[in-house]
Amino acid sequence: MTVSNAVLNYDLKRAVHPNRLIGLWRLMRGFRKLYIAATLSLGISAVAKTLTYLLLRYFVDDFLVAGSAALTLPMIALGFILLATAEGGFSFLSGKLAAQTAEGITRRLRNYLFDHIQRLTFTYHSRMETGELIQRSTSDVDALRRFFADQAIGIGRIILLFVINFIALLQLNVKLGLISVVVVPVIVVISLFFFRKISKAYEDYQTQDAILSTTLQENLTGIRVVKAFARQEYEIGKFERNNWEKFLRGKKLLKMHSLFWPISDTICNLQILVGYLIGALMAINGEITVGTFLAYAGLIVWIIFPMRNLGRLIVQTSTGMVSYNRVMDIIRQDRESLETGKHRPKSDILGKIEFDQVGFVYDDGNVALEDISFSCEPGQVVALLGSTGSGKTTLVNLLPRFYEYTSGRILLDDIELKRYPRLFLRQQIGIVEQEPFLFSRTIRENITYGVGREVPQAEVEAAAKAAAIHDIILTFEKGYNTLVGEKGVTLSGGQKQRVAIARTLLKNPRILILDDSTSAVDTETEAEIREALQNLMKGRTTFVIAHRIQSIMDADLILVLDKGRIVQRGKHADLLRQDGIYRQIYEIQTRIDDELEKEIASVA
Amino acid sequence: MSLNYFEEEEFKTQFNGQTLRRILALTRPHWRWVVGFLITIALVSGLDSVFTYLSKLIIDNGILAQNRSELYRLLVIYGSLGFVQASGVFCFIYLAGVLGERVRYDLRQKMFNHLQGLSLSYFSRTPVGWIMSRVTSDSERVADLVTWGLLDVTWGMMNIITAMGFMLFINWKLALIVLGILPILFYIAYQFRKRILGEFRNVRKLNSKITGSFNENITGVRVVKALCREDANLEEFKVLTGDMYRSSYRAAWLSALFLPSVQLVSAIALATIVWYGGWQVQVGSMTVGGIQAFVAYVTFMMWPIQDLARVFAEMQHSIASGERIFSMIDAVPDVKDLPGAYDPGTIQGDIEFDNVTFYYDEGDKKPVLENFSLYVKRGETIALVGETGGGKTTIVNLICRFYEPKKGSIRIGGKDYREYSLHAIQSRIGMVLQTPHLFSGTIRENIRYGRLDATDEEIIEAAKLAGAHDFIVKLKKRYDEEVGEGGNLLSVGQKQLISLARAVLAKPEVFIMDEATSSVDTLTEALIQRGMETMMKGRTSFVIAHRLSTIKRADRILVIEQGKIAEMGSHAELLRKRGKYYSLYTKQFRHQMEQDLDPFSQPEQIATTA
Repeated sequence: MTVSNAVLNYDLKRAVHPNRLIGLWRLMRGFRKLYIAATLSLGISAVAKTLTYLLLRYFVDDFLVAGSAALTLPMIALGFILLATAEGGFSFLSGKLAAQTAEGITRRLRNYLFDHIQRLTFTYHSRMETGELIQRSTSDVDALRRFFADQAIGIGRIILLFVINFIALLQLNVKLGLISVVVVPVIVVISLFFFRKISKAYEDYQTQDAILSTTLQENLTGIRVVKAFARQEYEIGKFERNNWEKFLRGKKLLKMHSLFWPISDTICNLQILVGYLIGALMAINGEITVGTFLAYAGLIVWIIFPMRNLGRLIVQTSTGMVSYNRVMDIIRQDRESLETGKHRPKSDILGKIEFDQVGFVYDDGNVALEDISFSCEPGQVVALLGSTGSGKTTLVNLLPRFYEYTSGRILLDDIELKRYPRLFLRQQIGIVEQEPFLFSRTIRENITYGVGREVPQAEVEAAAKAAAIHDIILTFEKGYNTLVGEKGVTLSGGQKQRVAIARTLLKNPRILILDDSTSAVDTETEAEIREALQNLMKGRTTFVIAHRIQSIMDADLILVLDKGRIVQRGKHADLLRQDGIYRQIYEIQTRIDDELEKEIASVA
Repeated sequence: MSLNYFEEEEFKTQFNGQTLRRILALTRPHWRWVVGFLITIALVSGLDSVFTYLSKLIIDNGILAQNRSELYRLLVIYGSLGFVQASGVFCFIYLAGVLGERVRYDLRQKMFNHLQGLSLSYFSRTPVGWIMSRVTSDSERVADLVTWGLLDVTWGMMNIITAMGFMLFINWKLALIVLGILPILFYIAYQFRKRILGEFRNVRKLNSKITGSFNENITGVRVVKALCREDANLEEFKVLTGDMYRSSYRAAWLSALFLPSVQLVSAIALATIVWYGGWQVQVGSMTVGGIQAFVAYVTFMMWPIQDLARVFAEMQHSIASGERIFSMIDAVPDVKDLPGAYDPGTIQGDIEFDNVTFYYDEGDKKPVLENFSLYVKRGETIALVGETGGGKTTIVNLICRFYEPKKGSIRIGGKDYREYSLHAIQSRIGMVLQTPHLFSGTIRENIRYGRLDATDEEIIEAAKLAGAHDFIVKLKKRYDEEVGEGGNLLSVGQKQLISLARAVLAKPEVFIMDEATSSVDTLTEALIQRGMETMMKGRTSFVIAHRLSTIKRADRILVIEQGKIAEMGSHAELLRKRGKYYSLYTKQFRHQMEQDLDPFSQPEQIATTA
């Protein structure tokens, strides 16, 4: 049975609800029929089981004892088999449907979260920790899956078993039936009590486990320090203490378990024993038949023992609830729309850009940019110079609408930026970061990552050549099919940057954003990267985030930023004539040469 | 060891008897616990069969015979045995569980202790993650084998044996019929479990892929957005979740089908009993209670049978885990004390490298150091400079005896240092690493790491000497401030100062410093310099130097290139030479000046961080 697209594409945002039970119910949208069918099957299966015991009664009373049965032995045997088949068949059906429900809901939730997260705003991503997001998308989703697979069905199962078997018991004998369930509330309360404690003890155990892992990891990563100070004994002692604490907490957890099971066993057994006694006495007195007693003895087990699990399931449900909240926190966030914006030119943009008193204020009120005004023609190079936190990066992040400017306006080809759909804009803009992010895929896939079409190998190689990375790729055993990252080769910072350049070349954007702080790269590769960048910048409007003057002397416009404002602007030559930071930086170079002269002269 | 070795592959090892014996031997110190839980589980399992038999007696001798006193007697027996069983349950859960925790504890401790003795070479070729999973997850699996694994097997066997025993006792002909059905049930159970486990394996694999996808898409979200990959990524992801859906769905419905199938087969068995038994009852040789008991016994036997394949698969896993653990425990340290190694009381003498050749791996084409000779007088400060990979770190590693020369020898105070114990050497060397490593805990604890019996006053004194005191007292909890995991609550500069204080406190006889390349503000820089000066005074010191001031202050500068001393001499001598040192120095000079003078660079202000 396949699930329809309408169900798969259901907007889970509608499952956000302050009442978590309602929210969970809404998460089941499209799968509710399956779930109900699963529960019904469970009910039928339980009925079949109950009927088996009733048939047993008939067999014993009417066939064996009285010998007056209307049914023959083969018919009774056939009845047992049919009931067993029905019980098994429907229990299977229920399991199958329940799996379909739980796995289906989870699949939809995973897809939705994955897509949702990649469409959330930059602001959200910079605020949230990566690990936290990953954990919510994986472990919390899994907790929800368990809720739908185990708890939602399990609780239904216990209640159904109880209701059906209780009715059957009442049918057998009202007095006996009522006596048999006296202990049920006690069992439920006890199991709730214990499982609360157990889940607390388990948490403590897990916490200590994390501490122990940290101790181990710190020891392993700091093994040189340990050895250098000859602290092996001390480390062993430290690990031992944490290890022992884990043992103690594990012991405590086990104590809970080892108490709960026999105690609940005893209570259940006592109830059953009392039931047996009364039932047996009634049978001896002739109040009930032997068959009734047998059926009773079989049925009572199915009422009492499942109740022990109710507490566990209820406690576990609270974990599911917590996870629901954590997942819904993400889903509640608004996506940034890639499509809104009326202006969609048929052809590529030209790349003329104008900033008009642009300002940007973060949600928390921090001013990042203020009164930024400048303009540039298509194909020109704009360089941004300034310290960390001066607003360089924020400024370029406005262009692909990663952030929305909060005042003023930006014109692209004389049209307000906000009128372009984000998708269109981003297709027109290429970004090369200082330490670019590559994916754990092959180098070829990384280069073609941003191109929405099949790319012939020749084209990939041409881009790699222009990015001065082709020769390096060929030195790898698998060439372009080499995996990047843990399972493949580790690329150096400069190599990563050149792969990113090749990636951007293939994308062929009209506007380019370069993070040109090549500080970590040694001189040899710096020249190669510079050449690759020259290739890339040809004919594109380029924004360069720079740290050093050497790389931006040819820029058409240099903006010196400080605390979110432009403090100096102009071409290299103009800026040199002005008194200011720019000239200061430039003069450092000559000062260094002078000092070096002096230094060497002093030893000669 | 190849890289593949470290991958978490699915082990499909054969049943390795030797490893199994070694795993079982782990419980030897606690054999009473093992005996205890084995006996109690056998008791619990056996009592289950007794209860069924008691029920038969209650029906036959109590109810049908209308014998009240017999009924009371049986129920009292039933009740008291119930208490016995409950205490049995308590015992086996407690004994097996606590034993499991204990074996885990033992294993972890054993591995950890062994790791402390292994040489640095082991850690440089073994990924931290690999070791971590041996100590954390493999120890769990092995402990599970000797507790729950043994328990499951005992329980299952007892269950089948006692059930069969009682059935034979009640009616041997009928029991033989049941016995005939058993192999079929075994076969069905095995086939099912095999498939279900296979699907679960798939689910696990897909699960880690899904986690990987989330991981990459979240950490790389900037690139995803910039390259408009959202739709393509979602399509790829949907394929994964689709596969996941199918695999887990399949695993679930196979599991759901399993029990009913076994039940159906047993229902047929049951019908046979009813057929045969019913007829026998008519002829009077089988009682009503007997039939009831048979039905119960057959149902009971289903549980261990359905569990069998799972237990077996888990055992295989545990044995594979055991093999990996033992491979680690069996690793022998490359560097260890020679017989008769002693503590000379001091290592303050001259240090001499005599024709030392060293390589990390046998397979390396070119040694890292080749015929390297150097004579360092007591109290001298040696600066090591040169490109990365030249061999500077190796020289330091050899002095610390993290590694030993492959050829030639190193002499301290005129004697081959291999005659001394490792502890004698390493406890007298103070080391400050390039990337300072701190341990979770307070600042005080981290400084005290240098000398465990140091008083609080001595710690403060050391911090003052290292220049760390000033920033520490500005922290809210001063010396009791937590540094976080790996010290990540502190800045790099702060960590450097603390690790310097740690070395100061140790009062080493030889001082080794790998200078950090990252820039700190001038004030902190001055503090660090001062701390280093204190350390170097009167001590033989080796510094892998990056800062110009450090280099200039050294008694001797060694330019290390491709495992050899390319140039050696004082700062002035080498500069006049206009050789390699000259070009290195001028390059470094420019770089440092650029950084120092750059109006944009805002190095962290350690002294003012609150």
